[in-house]
Order: sequence, then C-alpha cells, then structure tokens
Amino acid sequence: MEIDYLATVLLSSLSSASILLIATIGLAVVFGLMGVINLAHGEFLMIGAYTALTTTQWGVPYALSIPIAVVVTMTIGATVEILIISRLYGRLFDTMLATWGLSIAFYQLAVLIFGTVTPGIGMPRYSLRIGDYSLAGYPLLMIAVAALMALFVYALMTRTAYGRKARAAIQVPEMAQAIGIDSSRVNTLTFAIGCGLAGFAGAVLLPIVPATPSMGFAFVIKAFLTVVVAGPVTLTGSVLAAIGLGGGASITASFLTSVAGDAFFFLITALLLWLFPMGISATWRRKM
Amino acid sequence: MTFSEKLYRSAGLVFPIVVTVAALGAAGVIDPYLAYVATSWIIFGLLGLSLDIVWGRGGLLSLGQTAFYGLGGYFGSVVAINLGPVTGNTLIWSLPAGAFFGALCAAALGWIIFFARMGPLQSTILSYTLTLLLWSLTQSFQLDVGTASIGGDNGLSNIPGMVLGFGEKAETLGPVAVFVATILIAAMVYLLTRALMTSTFGRVVDCIRIDAQKAELLGYDVRLYQVANFAYAGAVAGLAGALFGAWANYLNPSIFSVQEALLVPIYVLVGGLGTLAGAFVGAIAIGGLSYWLGGGAVGGQTTLILGIALIFLVLFLKNGILGAVGDLWRRSLPDANAAARDADAVAIDPEVLEGLLKDAALQAGPAKSLATRDAFKRFGGVVPVNNVSRIFEPGRPSSLIGPNGAGKSSYLKTCVGIYTPEAGSILLADDDDITRAPIFQRVRRGMGVKNQKPQVFGALTVFDNLWTAAYARTRNKTGATEISEKVMGMLGFTNQAAVQASVLSHGQQQWLDIGMVLCLAPRVILLDEPAAGMTSEETRELSSLVRILARYTTVIVVEHDMEFVRTLEGHVTVLHQGEVFAEGDIDGLRANDRVLDIYLGRRAHV
Repeated sequence: MEIDYLATVLLSSLSSASILLIATIGLAVVFGLMGVINLAHGEFLMIGAYTALTTTQWGVPYALSIPIAVVVTMTIGATVEILIISRLYGRLFDTMLATWGLSIAFYQLAVLIFGTVTPGIGMPRYSLRIGDYSLAGYPLLMIAVAALMALFVYALMTRTAYGRKARAAIQVPEMAQAIGIDSSRVNTLTFAIGCGLAGFAGAVLLPIVPATPSMGFAFVIKAFLTVVVAGPVTLTGSVLAAIGLGGGASITASFLTSVAGDAFFFLITALLLWLFPMGISATWRRKM
Repeated sequence: MTFSEKLYRSAGLVFPIVVTVAALGAAGVIDPYLAYVATSWIIFGLLGLSLDIVWGRGGLLSLGQTAFYGLGGYFGSVVAINLGPVTGNTLIWSLPAGAFFGALCAAALGWIIFFARMGPLQSTILSYTLTLLLWSLTQSFQLDVGTASIGGDNGLSNIPGMVLGFGEKAETLGPVAVFVATILIAAMVYLLTRALMTSTFGRVVDCIRIDAQKAELLGYDVRLYQVANFAYAGAVAGLAGALFGAWANYLNPSIFSVQEALLVPIYVLVGGLGTLAGAFVGAIAIGGLSYWLGGGAVGGQTTLILGIALIFLVLFLKNGILGAVGDLWRRSLPDANAAARDADAVAIDPEVLEGLLKDAALQAGPAKSLATRDAFKRFGGVVPVNNVSRIFEPGRPSSLIGPNGAGKSSYLKTCVGIYTPEAGSILLADDDDITRAPIFQRVRRGMGVKNQKPQVFGALTVFDNLWTAAYARTRNKTGATEISEKVMGMLGFTNQAAVQASVLSHGQQQWLDIGMVLCLAPRVILLDEPAAGMTSEETRELSSLVRILARYTTVIVVEHDMEFVRTLEGHVTVLHQGEVFAEGDIDGLRANDRVLDIYLGRRAHV
C-alpha cells in the first residue's frame, strides 16, 4: 500500500531526526552557553556507548548502565573543562583545536583498549506493523526520548538557578561577573552537562548504533552541521534543524542511497548557511 | 640600519634559500631511504603552507586543507596516468592539474563561506565537515577515467612516479632525484607565496584578518580577496597532493582522514603561525622526530601522541619555533616603536589641508550630497531609525546630536551600510541610490567613514595604515605614497612613520583613523564621535579640520561634546527615539525648551 509505505518512511525519518537530535543536544548546550564547539563531542558519545557496553557485559542491567555512562562522561567532561578549556577562554579557534586533539586522543585510546571491532548488544525485540511493513520499536522510542531530552534541557535552562546563571553568563559576561556569578564554575558545569548529554546519547543509542572507536566521527558531521545551522538560539534552533536536516536526509536516503542522504545533508547545510550565515535563529527574538 | 636589522627584515628570504641550497648539497651524500622519507616531509610542509596562508594570513582556521590536498592529488594523478604516456614527463600534467583542481574546489567552498559572509565558527565547521564527508564518500566512490581506476577504499594505484625528461625513453627519477626535484618545487612555491604575501595583495589580506570591516570601509571588496586567498591556498594544497601521489604511486581515501587532517595545524603551530616558512619547519620537525623515534615504543601510538601534542601546543606554545626565535631576535634590535613616545602635538596646517582637498576634488570630482528618504530600521521591538528624511550638503558641517539611545549611531550605520534599512532609500548625490549597495561600493562612490571606536590596523606601521587607505583609491603605488606622505606630515606623524599603530595612544589612533579617511578623498565624510579621547587642544584642531573639510565635502558628525558641536558653527539635527526631533543652529536649539526637556528629562514630553 502506497499510504502505508509513506507512513513508514515518515515515521522512520522522524525517528532518524530524533536520533540526530539526541546526538546533537549536548553539543548544542555547550555551543549555546559557552560559545564554543566541542570537536570531541563525538568521542564523548563513544565513551558513553563503551561505558554502557562494558557495564552491561559486567552484568549490570542495560537500563542502569545509562546513568552510569552519564556520570562517567560528566566526570571526564568536568576534568577536561578545568584542565584545558578554562585556560582558553576567549580563544575560539584554540579551543576548537584543543578539543580536536582531544577527540583524536580519545579515539586512539579506545582503539588501544577495546580494539576496532566490538560486539553490539541486542536491540529490544518489539516492532510496530503498518500494513505490510514493520518497523522496529526501539528506534521509534527514540522520538519520545528526544522530546524528553529537549524538555529536560529547557527546564534546566529556565527553571533552575544554574540555568539562569549560565544564560546570563553567555549574554553579558562582564555583567554576570559583576553581580557575583562565578562564570568559570558555571562553565565547568555547562561543559560537564554537555558531555553528560553526549554520554547519555551514546548509551541510549547503543542498541541502534554499536560502539566502535570511530563512531564519533560518523555522528559529529551531522551534529556539527545541525548546530551551526541552528545558530545562537540553540535549543529551538537545534530541534528545528535536526527535524529538517535529519528528516530530509533520511527521506532522501530511503528513496535514493545513504550516500545521497549524506550529500543532501551537506548541500542543504551549505545552502542554509548561505541564506543565514550566522544560523537560522540569528535574528530570532526568542532566546531559548 | 645595522646588518642584524637588515637580515631580520629579509629573514624570510635569506634563510629558506640558504636551507634549500644546503639541502640540495646534502642530497648528494644522504642515504637514499632517508631522502625518500624526507621528500614526504617537504610535501607535508607544502600542505602546511596552504593552511598558513588561509589561517595565519587570512585569519580563517580551515580544517579542510586535506580535502583540497586529496582532491588535487586524485585529480592530478588521474590526469598524469592518462596523459603521462603522451609526453613521457608526468609532472607537467599532474602538478598543474592538481593545483587547478585544488584551487577550483577551494574557490567553490570559499565562495559559499565568504560571499555569504559566514561567521568564523560556521566557516571552520563547514570546512571540517567537508573533509569528513569526503572521507566517507570516497570509501565507496568508484570511477574509471581512461586508464585510471578509482576503486573506493582500494584507492587509486599505478600513479606514475616523477619523470622530468620527455619522450619514451625518459626514466622515472630515483629517490634522491625525487628529493631534489621536490625541494626545488617547494622552494619555488614558497618564494611565489612569499612574493604574493609581501605584495599589496598580501597587505590587504593582512588588513582583512586584523579588521575586515575597516578594510571594507577603505573600499576593498574583502570577499574577493578572501576567496582569492583561499583559492590560492587550495592550489598549493592541490599541488602538494599531486606531488604526494607521484611520490607514493598510490592514493586511497585515508588522505581525507581525520588523522591526516590533524597533522596540518600541528605543522603550522610547531613552526609558527603566519610565518609561511614555519609550516616547513614544523613538518620537518614532526617528520624527523617520528622517523628517529619510529619503530620504538611510541611507534604505533603516533595518533595518540599527536592528539595530545596538539592540546599542549595550543595551551603552551602559541608562537611556534620560528615565532619564538623571531621574538628573541627582535629584542636585540632597536625598538622601532620607541618613536611613539615623542610624538608631536597634532597641528593642522590649513594650507596643506586645502591643497590636499583641492587635489582630491580634481581627482574624485565635486562634493556629493547624502540624503535619506524615510529610512527605517528595526531591531525587534526597538526602532532606532524611524522614518528619517534628511539631506546633508557641503558648505558647513552637519551635526547629529541627541541623548543616549536616540539612534544617532544607528542612523549613521544605516547610511554607511553596516545596517540595511527595512524601508526607505539612501541617495548619494541626488540620484545614486545606494540603499542596497555593500559597504565597499559606497566607499568607492565617495563615502568616507570613521566609526566610534578608532579602527586602525594595529600590526601595521602608521605609514602603512595610511598607504593602504590611499592605495584603495588610487590603485597606484607611487600615487598612494605621495598622498599618504602628505597626510602623515599634516597630522605630525612623520617621526612615527615606522611605529606600529597599536602602540599609539587612543587620541593618536583617532587622528590616524581620520587620516585614513582623508586618504580616500571622500566626497561625503561621516564621523562618529571623532572627539572622544582627545585632549582639549586636539579637539580644537579637530574642529578647524572639520570646518575646512566641510568647505570641500559634505561632513556629518555625530557628537556628544556640545562645546565641540558649537565650535563647528554648522547645522545641527537633534534625533530622539529614532526620529528627527528638532533642527537648526546650536544657539537656537539651546534655547529650545523641548530639546532641553529630552536632554535633561525635565518633564514628560511627547
């Protein structure tokens, strides 16, 4: 049935977009609240995935391994912020280069520790039938997970003292300091939260995306492009950009090839940046 | 000038030539295997050079140089495989083809980045994702072109080595000859790049890196310079890729890998950012280090070590080897900036100034009026420019005053083109509609602008600042020298000609900025708070300068200093909440109760 097929494609594209959003949101938080792009974001995703994988192999239930992955990546993120990022405030390109070096170092460490091939964990076996087509249930669940993550970040930024401080610190840093906000502590927390979200993404996507040392590189292309297309209003912007770009690429990929989907993604990004050189949200009035 | 000073100035020329000659001499005695490996270091040096052009000079951190390197390598090699047998010589095919294709791809990406006026972050990410995209696309990309076969992750093999002779009997060079040929090619590319970067093109590229907006306010089309610079760097990278193909006889998608891309900024940072020669120093240092350490305990973990090395380089060694050596050397030289301390007070000589302005009128035509019709600019709910219709004419200075937030600077920025109005039009000389024209077009048509903050190119000398401004208009080196010397003499900067603009005081920088505007021979001059940071004597000089200027051109001044505005004896417009509130001469306005109300907030007003 044609309608069934369309529904299937739409639903699976929405789930692809959600997976992209899950992988992107930590990057968007760091970019939105610190103004830097963490080029090691993909590797934090990878660390999260490996943490979840290793703990499940030790016998910990999968559901419990996800918070462990978050704690581990947050700890590493905070350490990295204190040791490296905090020394480079105001030096945008240097920060990017340093996180890039970090990304390669993490990648090589993962190769050393885990080797290049690792077993995946089984995907929970339930599925959804639409007419003659059947869709795996777990990827569809990601739609809800992505929505929850976005809500969580929104609540964190608007309903907590930390969120208000962080947003103040990025908008007018001098003023924030003048009223007593310790922006370096706020930044440490922001970076840790961004890395924790990446770790969560790696762990929760583990049944779909098996852990490999190079998985970060595959994810970051789309995550980076999503964030720069989104622009300064990171949360709303990222949600829109992820749905538009991720969904579009997935639809292209299902009608053509996955390579065409990737190329589509890059070209549309270039086009969007041509039209909105500072991101689609650069002229918006809302700030979240 | 001492020998040390002379040598310091031409160090970028002398030392590379000495090293090249020494390397050519050493080629006769070194081990062929070392020669073979060292060839690759020089090729990587070329690749590093391409990043230094884009980043150290152009100011854009491109993580896509390996993309152009790989694309140029593939394209040049495919051409060499097919056409090499025709002539015997392979390099005349692969090198131009690689350079051309690298330049073409870089120009395409550069066009998107610079003509869209993308932010720095967006540009860097776009260049990085291009590399990552090529890495994944080339894994499965298969294509047969003539006798060349690109086989996805199997790569492209059978790339002919370097053949310099012609005809069927020409033989492939041995490792030592390849080493020599590569050194000569790299030396030529380096010398060409250095010549380009010390020419006026390089000067403008430097200015764009330091302050892109000011470069555009001088009338340079910064986008064209940026794309040209990016494309040139792409050509260097493509040529390096073609050389690499001929050296390795084989290319595969790993040329686009992150590990490969990571090396390029490391070379540049180790050698010294912006030094050009530093890229080679870095590549040889890293290559040599891994050659002598390689095979030992660290051999297999090069990637890990390089990743950590990049972090440390960024954290602790910003200037690189050549940068550090240069700093040490400069300390032993007399300080050229010492002259900044005994600067004369500025004294405007009316005769010199009038002479300059008459010359300018001869060359650039009569003064032009500037008019806005219902200009309207909105930022969200704030309307800083609300249907302002004004015409400014030569004769006497026009001042814009108003309390903070009245929209004076926004109105000026709308006239200049920094803001684009949502409605209304801006006309130059009655009939020339410049509402949508980019900034540099307005400047070329006769607009001269000094923004609120003094904008000078800090790393350049006082003279070079003025010269760059004069050259933007004259496009003639001797003409530019003549004009800039006159302006420099008038501003009393003659003894400070060789001083870096960044060490001047705030007031002196204001004068230098005004001097740069004068070098443009503008027909309409817009000055945003020119008296800020000046002493009372300087303010008096400024006032006489502005009054003389207004006799020959249209002058619009935004000022807070009421005393200064009064001495201008000109026409005054009061802006309030983005609208024209009152106008007239200063004495009339001083007696106007409504104007006093908005300045002092005495009572409620409409």
